[in-house]
Amino acid sequence: MKKTFRATLFYVLCTLIVVLWMVPFVVAFFTAFKTMDEIFMLRNFWSPPKTWTFENFKIAWIEGRMARYFINTAIVTAVSVAGTLLLSSLSAYALAWYEFKLRTTILMIFVSGMLIPFQMLLIPVYRFSVVTGLYDTLIGVILFHVAFQLGFCTFFLRNFMVTIPSSLFDAARIDGAGAFRIYSKIIMPLVKPAVAALSILEFTWIWNDYLWSLILLQSDAKKTVTIGLTTLQGQWISSWNVIAAGALLAATVPVIVFLIFQRYFIQGLTLGSIKG
Amino acid sequence: MRKKLTPYLFLAGPLTLYSIWVIYPIFRTFLVSFTRWDGMTKSRFVGWENFVRLFNDRYFILSLLNNLKWMIGFVILSIPLGLLFAMLMDQKYPGHKVYKSLVYLPMALSFVVIGQIWSWVLEPSGGVVNAFLRWIGLEGLAKPWLSDPKIVTYSLIWAALWRQIPYAMVLFLAGLQSVDKEHVEAAIVDGANAFQRFWYVILPELRPAIVITITVNIIDSLRAFDIVFVMTRGGPYYSSSVMANYMYIQAFHNYRMGYGASIAVIQFLITLGFILIYVLNVLKREERL
Amino acid sequence: MKKFVVLVLVTIMVFVFAKERIVINSYMSDPAPRKALAELVEIFQQKYPEYEVVVNTFAHEDFKVLLRTWLASPKGTADVVTWFAGERMRYFAEMGLIVPVEEVFEGAKWEDYFPEAFRSTCSYKDKIYFIPQSWYWWGVYYRKSVFEKFGIKEPKTWDDFLQVCETLKKNGIVPITIGTKFPWTAAGWFDILNLRINGLDYHIALTAGEVPYTDPKLLKVFEYWRQIIDKGYLLPNHTAYEWQEAATFLFRGQAGMYYMGQFIKDVAPAEVKDDLDFFRFPIIDPAVAPYEETPIDGFMIPANAPNKKGAIVFLRFIASKEAQEKFAKDLGRLAANVEVAPPDAHAKKGLDMILASAGVAQFYDRDTNPEMAEVGMNAFIEFMQNPDRINDILKRLEAERKRIYGK
Repeated sequence: MKKTFRATLFYVLCTLIVVLWMVPFVVAFFTAFKTMDEIFMLRNFWSPPKTWTFENFKIAWIEGRMARYFINTAIVTAVSVAGTLLLSSLSAYALAWYEFKLRTTILMIFVSGMLIPFQMLLIPVYRFSVVTGLYDTLIGVILFHVAFQLGFCTFFLRNFMVTIPSSLFDAARIDGAGAFRIYSKIIMPLVKPAVAALSILEFTWIWNDYLWSLILLQSDAKKTVTIGLTTLQGQWISSWNVIAAGALLAATVPVIVFLIFQRYFIQGLTLGSIKG
Repeated sequence: MRKKLTPYLFLAGPLTLYSIWVIYPIFRTFLVSFTRWDGMTKSRFVGWENFVRLFNDRYFILSLLNNLKWMIGFVILSIPLGLLFAMLMDQKYPGHKVYKSLVYLPMALSFVVIGQIWSWVLEPSGGVVNAFLRWIGLEGLAKPWLSDPKIVTYSLIWAALWRQIPYAMVLFLAGLQSVDKEHVEAAIVDGANAFQRFWYVILPELRPAIVITITVNIIDSLRAFDIVFVMTRGGPYYSSSVMANYMYIQAFHNYRMGYGASIAVIQFLITLGFILIYVLNVLKREERL
Repeated sequence: MKKFVVLVLVTIMVFVFAKERIVINSYMSDPAPRKALAELVEIFQQKYPEYEVVVNTFAHEDFKVLLRTWLASPKGTADVVTWFAGERMRYFAEMGLIVPVEEVFEGAKWEDYFPEAFRSTCSYKDKIYFIPQSWYWWGVYYRKSVFEKFGIKEPKTWDDFLQVCETLKKNGIVPITIGTKFPWTAAGWFDILNLRINGLDYHIALTAGEVPYTDPKLLKVFEYWRQIIDKGYLLPNHTAYEWQEAATFLFRGQAGMYYMGQFIKDVAPAEVKDDLDFFRFPIIDPAVAPYEETPIDGFMIPANAPNKKGAIVFLRFIASKEAQEKFAKDLGRLAANVEVAPPDAHAKKGLDMILASAGVAQFYDRDTNPEMAEVGMNAFIEFMQNPDRINDILKRLEAERKRIYGK
């Protein structure tokens, strides 16, 4: 009896929370399928559309130049994630397995760098990009993302690496394996789960980045999805249905990736437990 | 000799990149904060002038206080609610995974999307919140959530919590994994009721998770920017401004780079305190390992 | 050897046939003007096939922020940028961040293209830095059908105006709509009230930072403004909306009037466009001649533009009768070029209103220093929400004026 009561309580409360949490999604979903007339005559966001229309998605896709922007975002995200993971695994390896004078200092630098208010970087980073010709190139945005995420990734991977028993490392060393060999053949295979978790986290963050693409890119041909969405908002300010359609389009990829790889995402957040 | 060099070889690449894009800009901002600079013509060294001015700037003080509201809001809402959600969904009834996924979903979204969606939820005339309040007969509670200077900051925090609570929940769920099930069983045998079990057994074991989650939330609250930027840009007339946003306005709207930099520096120094707490915590935990 | 020759030939061909690029960064992000500019660029490329023009479009508010970053960077990324005439242009000219564009008029004079009256707002220290493209007027927009329905006639005086508001309100229509999420719309009200009450010379002196904000004459402006606030004639919660969102209330017949620039037509749905009309903002003090707001939009060349030569060629095209006529026609605005007649009856009415006025101002944020404009416009919003605080607000504005102008 008590058991059924507890189960009922669980389902009731969870359903309540989920319903509450889904309201904003439902609002966006309904709005995206409404006609302009319905939006402004009724001016409500909670009722389902009387007539469903796909027109808004078409406008958002074409006017928002989403096709082009999706490709750009995909390139930026893929290369940035790969670059960050590669470089941070190198630095994490050094910080986890070697004793040297500046170890703590360097670790501290990486850790505090990942928590700083990013506005500190805006102006100098912009100017640096322009001077070096990296401005308005995808590679410029990628380099920045890689560098900016290094702090977090290094910290994350190092924390994972120190949990590996050091006997493995020592044994390989005694066998005469070189440092890079130990890194690539022994340590990296062991941190695979951490790398998986990290890559999903990084994927979501970089895909969703807005400010840095705004500051570092200018050509329409190079912009990313989030910029496309804000430009769409600027153009269709009063056409809430089109913007909603654009927002849903922009959200598809990260949401799908999240749903598929959720396990890694959660592991990542838990292991890293710092960024959001 | 060679051995000593090895870690540095591994660090060379990452550290170079990091120095150029992160370390150098931070130092640069510190320097700029002592100048008067419009970002275009030559800058002029002015000593502490920007900082003195800051503490006489009512909108900066307002932004600082708003950050404080964010901090309190995050701590007193996302910690208990996150914990509650975690405790609830940690019970492994069939379907608990589906519930979790749905609650987590906001974490996959960009702030641009979150901000847009929430401005519809809170829209004064037809937004869901006000429509609901009217429907249940509480017309009087229907408010212009984003245009009344007195409540706009709370509305923004509310929107941010949509993403922040699931985040706290994730951290607590991880913490709950490490709660010793035997202790809980023992408490049940001793006849402790649910509340006692929670208060005397589970909560103390969750302490490390709670400390981390609080610190993370505080740091996030001090860095709040995106939601404000997307939903109100700090308006109406700076009433929902936070430090990050005010810095952006000063530096990029008002062409006061030096002044903006000094805000960034203050924000950095405040955050640094919490960063240190966090880092020390992490390192301390490590020693125990 | 053969390979080498081929290589050289290919290189030469590429060199000869490679098009020179002109990069334009534009804030024309509303669908109608964006399309109009794209079509102009198309015509330009047909006329000058040696150039390839790239247009980068930014959301309006983002553009305002980014422009300065582009101009100030040691290496330029755009050859031509859209902007506003007046103080906002001079601000950059003074710092040497934009260059004079007199070469556009090679073999001709300013007067061959544009009215003499425009010269000073487009110049800095007697040099022309700005090529005007179009200009427009601000007026009180309304829907003819709505006015007809309630038997309302266009008000001429302030008292008539208040009467119209009252009639609308009684019939359940919001008398005046406005969206102040971005605060410049409020500056429109400030400007026109100041022009009506204190006249143009005073307004110019004020926006130039020469008059204290605590001046008693200025207080009168806010007293008039207060009348419509206290009587509840303004759209409630206007700070939640952007100007286009506020306009939808007018288009849907839920609000009666909107003091706005002609560009409101850009965003009006087709079925409302012809129903939309405007009248001159009512006279408050008969002793003060009618002055209006007529912002001028156009282009300038950054000092760091990589292709200044191309930029000049493009601007010469923009100044031409052909280009100005097309743009004005597409958007129903007035062309800056003297040879272009108003494109339609609506524009003719606007032009007549301006010709019948005693003088014109640009706009608060175009006439005054950008930093002052930011504080000033936010202060207007604060006033609209808390009219009782006006004395305190003006005191703070005065402190800012002193700091910014160093007076």
